Amino acid sequence: MTSSLWRHHILPFTFLVGLLAAVTLAGDYLLHRLNLVWVGRYLGIPGTLLIIASLVYSLRKRKYIKTGNPKKLLTLHEFGTWIGASLVLIHAGIHFNAILPWLATVAMGVNAVSGMVGKLLLDRSRRHVQEQREHFQLRGLSRPDVEQAMFWDAVTLDAMNRWRKVHIPIFIVFAVLALSHIFSIFLFWGWV
Amino acid sequence: MSRILKFVLAANLIAIAVLAFVYPNLMVGPGKLIPGHKQLETDCFACHAPFLGSASERCVSCHKPADVGRLTTTGQPVLKPLTSTPFHQKLTTQDCVACHSDHAGVKRYRQQGRFNHALLQKATLDQCLSCHKSPTDSLHKQITGNCSQCHNQNKWTPATFDHNKYFVLDRDHSASCVTCHEGNNYSRYTCYGCHEHTAENIRREHIEEGIRDYDNCVECHRSADEHDIRGRGGEGRGKDEGKQGRKGRDDDD
Repeated sequence: MTSSLWRHHILPFTFLVGLLAAVTLAGDYLLHRLNLVWVGRYLGIPGTLLIIASLVYSLRKRKYIKTGNPKKLLTLHEFGTWIGASLVLIHAGIHFNAILPWLATVAMGVNAVSGMVGKLLLDRSRRHVQEQREHFQLRGLSRPDVEQAMFWDAVTLDAMNRWRKVHIPIFIVFAVLALSHIFSIFLFWGWV
Repeated sequence: MSRILKFVLAANLIAIAVLAFVYPNLMVGPGKLIPGHKQLETDCFACHAPFLGSASERCVSCHKPADVGRLTTTGQPVLKPLTSTPFHQKLTTQDCVACHSDHAGVKRYRQQGRFNHALLQKATLDQCLSCHKSPTDSLHKQITGNCSQCHNQNKWTPATFDHNKYFVLDRDHSASCVTCHEGNNYSRYTCYGCHEHTAENIRREHIEEGIRDYDNCVECHRSADEHDIRGRGGEGRGKDEGKQGRKGRDDDD
């Protein structure tokens, strides 16, 4: 039981968070080393666009979008938010200038950690519904239909629902703070 | 999401929004302002136009271009000017924010105090001495103006001119500049400025070799090495030939 907890939860989670921190530090170090600190100033833009693009999964899941493989969109959501978060973290650097962008950065960090917890919970749910595979197959469903049914079962398990109740408010706080930061940049910066 | 949670979230976000308006310098300002603009710290729109950024027109409403480097905004003489000569009056365009940034966080991305000569008007660009003092070392004492012969406008040192490329100043040729370059004209030279070479002995030596076109000495002679003779149209052509041709003969010395 303990080794299973380590193998399936604690180690993967630590790896994902550690990798995010390592990529951020390495990116920041490289920009300083290559005298490209100014590039970091603009990395917030692709980072934000990646995070926004990854929200397609959330729309698909809530049936606002009818097309698209939900499994692939979830993978896109996981990768897009992870890479987007790392770009935004490099963009933030270690420069403490204003409070609002830092609140947005902290909210994004909490959001990213929450997302990684969700990913691990989803993996656990998948393993749980794995046992139901035979049941579906016994009902004579085709393989793609079984995959689809298992995916929706996994993401709608009770644990996932409870996690979502935490993840969504965290995301809303992050979204509002990030949009406020973006708005303040548009308000005060001369783009032309 | 429960109603209480929604309320707490909304209340927090509203509080942050209010703080952003009351303390914009702390909430959204990219770092402290320069000491001279400290009184503008909470008045962002003194310099920034909404969605257009900070325009130079706002800067020059207080900092008159004619006075920059000479007088403060209150009309008092600048006691410790940052440059020895005011130059803002001679810039091609008045684009203040292209060089200046007032917030500490923005300054990090720009090299402060980095002057680019390309910003100067053409008439000023060639008059180095209107801003710079000529160095007082023995070499530069001999030269007046025309700095661009040896220096470019990006860096003073290292000088871009490599004398060895044209003529190596070694041995007997460690002479002062004016020996060869008369009238501060470094685009021309003469080899008859010292007692060693005279028009007559040079003529005699070259005629003996059957050489009649010998006005441009450095075309063949690039150093004091009498055997290093480079013929017209090719590097090092005559090195060995020169050795052979001059072997056993006296020079003009």
